[in-house]
Amino acid sequence: MSGQRVDAKVVMLGKEYVGKTSLVERYVHNRFLVGPYQNTIGAAFVAKVMPVGGRTVTLGIWDTAGSERYEAMSRIYYRGAKAAIVCYDLTDRSSFQRAKFWVNELQNFEENCRIYLCGTKSDLLEEDRRRREIDFHDVQDYADEIKAELFETSSKTGQNVDELFQKVAEDYVQFTAFDLTEEKGVDLNQKSTTYFYSCCHH
Amino acid sequence: MAADVYKKKGDVPNGSLVPKDGQQSERSESPTPGLTQGTEPGAGQEGAIFVHTKSYEDLTSTDNPESAPKSPDEREEPQRDEIKMEEISKDFSELSTQLTGIALDLEEEIRQNNEGKLELSPQASRRDSVLSGKEEEDITMEAWRMHQKHIFVLSEAGKPVYSRYGCEEALSSTMGVMMALVSFVEAEKNAIRSIHADGYKVVFVRKSPLVLVAVAQTRQSEQEIAQELLYIYYQIVSLLTLTQLNHIFQQKQNYDLRRLLAGSERITDNLVDLMARDPSFLMGAARCLPMAAGVRDVVSACLQQAKAKSLVFAILLSKNQLVSLVRKKDQFLHPIDLHLLFNLISSSSSFREGEAWTPICLPKFNSNGFFHAHISYLEPNIDLCLLLISTDREDFFTVSHCKQRFQERLKKRGVHHALLEALRTPFYSVSQVGIPDLRHFIYKSKSSGLFTSPEIEAPYITEEEKERLLELYQYLHSRAHNSSHPLNNIYYTGSNENLLAWVTSAFELYVCFSPLGTKAAAVSAVNKLMKWIRKEEDRLFILTPQTY
Repeated sequence: MSGQRVDAKVVMLGKEYVGKTSLVERYVHNRFLVGPYQNTIGAAFVAKVMPVGGRTVTLGIWDTAGSERYEAMSRIYYRGAKAAIVCYDLTDRSSFQRAKFWVNELQNFEENCRIYLCGTKSDLLEEDRRRREIDFHDVQDYADEIKAELFETSSKTGQNVDELFQKVAEDYVQFTAFDLTEEKGVDLNQKSTTYFYSCCHH
Repeated sequence: MAADVYKKKGDVPNGSLVPKDGQQSERSESPTPGLTQGTEPGAGQEGAIFVHTKSYEDLTSTDNPESAPKSPDEREEPQRDEIKMEEISKDFSELSTQLTGIALDLEEEIRQNNEGKLELSPQASRRDSVLSGKEEEDITMEAWRMHQKHIFVLSEAGKPVYSRYGCEEALSSTMGVMMALVSFVEAEKNAIRSIHADGYKVVFVRKSPLVLVAVAQTRQSEQEIAQELLYIYYQIVSLLTLTQLNHIFQQKQNYDLRRLLAGSERITDNLVDLMARDPSFLMGAARCLPMAAGVRDVVSACLQQAKAKSLVFAILLSKNQLVSLVRKKDQFLHPIDLHLLFNLISSSSSFREGEAWTPICLPKFNSNGFFHAHISYLEPNIDLCLLLISTDREDFFTVSHCKQRFQERLKKRGVHHALLEALRTPFYSVSQVGIPDLRHFIYKSKSSGLFTSPEIEAPYITEEEKERLLELYQYLHSRAHNSSHPLNNIYYTGSNENLLAWVTSAFELYVCFSPLGTKAAAVSAVNKLMKWIRKEEDRLFILTPQTY
């Protein structure tokens, strides 16, 4: 029912503590919460409407938990996703291994899902270059190989965050939306008013 | 889904859980000890919400048949019990000789282990503590030993799963010893329940494939500590299901369960803290947010109307108090499951963002399958959380739409503001009762599984004082429910307060008075208090629960 009002399903994937929730928080609420780490339980859904080239696109973002406990469940969150933002922590080598795991999953089960690799916590590198454990060019090569986009972001400073989601929305419009204009799924005359949940009101 | 449903027996009329023989249609004005279940203040008028739990023992009986109260015909075999006791005490004396030996080894091992720990890279251990959200303590420090209650969870292979204080790795040899104790007693076809020594109670609960151990200096009875351990066990099951838990250990006996539980330590920590603060757990019941019956009924109706096929339970709560609960007809929630849900919500701020959709097992309902819970807050910055529990993991958008419909209806029927107004006074003051020496009370209606209690006020201002009061209630509760010598009436005189406990087949009442009052005054005050509760019952309880 209400599902029709979401144009593109976007799923956040990646190891726990890489900052998926912070990335969504920065994008949706434009804020960065400082405090003790809180792991996501299950998954959180939030919808955001954004303008793309004279029309609007509603992204339905699934922020999944990184914990292995939910791994078996993860398919329900990425099934039918138009885009997957696969996150890794630029200062944690093991998180990139985990990112590769998710890329494989997506390639095997969701062929039509576009992949966006996202290196998080770039502000930590500003403070100390030596903390970088994942080389940009290595990942760029990997991204080319799997036909993915690559971004390095900081949810703390907001660097590259809007650009990432803008690209996701634009690609959706460019690659998918026009195929569906005849169908019920996307209604261009749909009121461009917000499809915010109550928690998103400011 | 093939849920192991708590179904009401067919012979009970009107969807009521009240036992047939105890049913009376009239509600008595002034309650008396002979008051039948189902007519006491707070008893639901149109059926109960929960699985029927007569008393505290009922909560544990299925898990702990031996500790449950004996039915009269079982009491005829005291001799056999005595023999058992003798055997056990013999075993214990043998065990204690063994223990001294172990203790020395243990200290040595801990020391070695600690030295070994230093070799770990500091970054790695820091990241672990970030993930679990707690500062790790050095287990060789005196401060670690001084904690009031330690909780340890281990696998049957002796591998650490959870420790309330200190890093599990550093405790692996301690946990190994615990497992050795359990196995040692089991080898003699017996089971270790507790060790009492030096002001400590060491309580063991064996729930295959896990072993739970508490080391407590509190005044709680062994039975109550075991009950808390069971709650922790259910907490773990609620994250994984028992099927998955069994499967994992069948595949690999020495599996490190912490991998799968990563990030859940905070939920378990919160549960242990909550059990020391919130009388819901002791009472095995839920507290309702006090609000005008008219408003609550409309809220419940709105919630009931926003239904979906896969919805089983809809729960509206604020500050661990029930605002409303709607359940599918013939499906009952168990208080333990509700407490686990309350704990999940109060232990995480992550639900405040967007809408959460998470698999959750309600172990008392069905320990083998997941429900899917939609969790959201209705308003930013207001503690009003809606939990919609569905059987279908694909149903997120349908369930999310139920939430929207509920909110629209609330506004349309004009109770939205009245509801928010009620949330501004989530607790009532004991002074409303108008009894001078009365400081605090807990009243539980057994047939509805609901209880009411005023805010804890002066002189119980500090957290320590509040917990001390709850400990006194725990003490009275354990005396009242002692399986060999249950008591119906207790009057306790202390230097700081006097307490009275009154347990009948219909209700339980625990009252705290100033130390200056007399027993006679307390008894007459109790009658006055019961009249007040009767007068206020439609505000303090959910009397007309709704079903789908």
